Amino acid sequence: MPYTRRRLFATLASAAAASQMARGADDGITIPGKRPMIVHNDRPEDLETPVRYFDTWLTPVEAFFVRQHLPRPSKIDPEAYRLNVNGMVAKPLELTLADLKKLPQFTVPATIECTGNGRAFHTPKVPGIQWMRGAIGNAEWRGPRVGDILKMAGANSSAAFIEVDGADTGVASTPDFVRSLPMNKAMHPATILALSMNGQTPDIHGFPARLIVPGWDGTSSVKWVIRISATAQAGTGFFMNPGYRYPKYALPPGTPAKPAELEVIEGMPVKSCIAAPEEQEKIAPGPLTVSGFAWAGENAIERVEVSTDGGSRWRDAQLSPQKLPFAWRLWSLEWRPADPGYYTLMSRATDTAGRVQPIVSPWNPSGYLWNAIDRVGIIVEKTA
Amino acid sequence: MRKPILLGAAALAGFAAFAADQATLDRGKKDADLACLPCHSLRLVQSQRLSRSAWNKELDKMTGWGCKMTDREAILEYLVANYGDDKPPSPPAMSKNGVPPPQRKQ
Repeated sequence: MPYTRRRLFATLASAAAASQMARGADDGITIPGKRPMIVHNDRPEDLETPVRYFDTWLTPVEAFFVRQHLPRPSKIDPEAYRLNVNGMVAKPLELTLADLKKLPQFTVPATIECTGNGRAFHTPKVPGIQWMRGAIGNAEWRGPRVGDILKMAGANSSAAFIEVDGADTGVASTPDFVRSLPMNKAMHPATILALSMNGQTPDIHGFPARLIVPGWDGTSSVKWVIRISATAQAGTGFFMNPGYRYPKYALPPGTPAKPAELEVIEGMPVKSCIAAPEEQEKIAPGPLTVSGFAWAGENAIERVEVSTDGGSRWRDAQLSPQKLPFAWRLWSLEWRPADPGYYTLMSRATDTAGRVQPIVSPWNPSGYLWNAIDRVGIIVEKTA
Repeated sequence: MRKPILLGAAALAGFAAFAADQATLDRGKKDADLACLPCHSLRLVQSQRLSRSAWNKELDKMTGWGCKMTDREAILEYLVANYGDDKPPSPPAMSKNGVPPPQRKQ
């Protein structure tokens, strides 16, 4: 991104404003290893990435969002770590980290997004973490294929699912975080038990071993995995039902769903966001780069269009070169505002399957899968 | 012309029936702190903006998950009064920088 002096001043002003806001609102929380993050919850940590950090294709670990349903388990000693593989298998296994490292290792670039990213934009409001744009990040995950682990254990061909449990446990009667994954997705060559992200093994992101289910909602990518069981049926725990389900039929906003008409969320929709300039940012007159990121679940991004006039006219943005399924593309558009005043910038993505980001994102009782065309208001100032 | 005054008085009485008194709200805050803090920080609660019925459902969910509430009604009144869906969203809080500065090579 070309960084003009004017743009630098604008960024500094924006950072100063963010820092002012931080001073006003924080209460001294520091998350070791993380840059200043938007804190939705500090125990357990639910941290959102400020959009200004989204200027690299790989999101650095120090800026990557964190979602935890349950308190983080105490740090797992890599020597003591064991993965139990059981259920409908010929040979139950108890694997060490060294065993997992002996299997062929694969690197998968994938965007992981919290199912509720954008929940704060739903009207009427729904309960849950009020994520805005930043419960998302793109990393290079590396580890053995889940399929290879299941083959080693001799998974029964009639097992239709795997059940995956993390080392985290609930407080009081809070349900344990256990998720099921259909066997065909578990066996997909890009589904891995990641042993690192961007070459690092941060405890807060689920290491020494976490699932990566590319293109599916982040909830599927269980952290601190200690058990994989081959099963005939999907699990029935809270985090499979009623948690993380989406209405089969669109609902009038604010109305409840019938439990029988809720379905497990699998793939993710097409979506783009504007990272710069930021909402309500004041910009000096002159040329400007509008930039952001776009992704499409299991598909790749084909096109991103940007409007600088509230959606009347659209222009194609430039896309970053990696056109991959599962991973986002960064985009940018050079623009010179003709006049000072208020502008509504919008971004609209299209994926390789022809899906287009909608104007209206369907409301749902848990606020999942927000993907409306992104919209940011900015003020272009008069020349001094 | 007494009718409007009577209607006004009736409306006020109706309002009083729904608006919790300060003692209830204070008790609700204290009880909410005690009930919520064993499992998560209060920030999770304070960042929500929910209707009375949505808060009621949340309290049911938390009770099901083992949450002990001394005075459920006071907690509900406190949540609705402070974190109702008619309140503006809370400003995002930022953490401080937790990334150590790069070490200089000798």
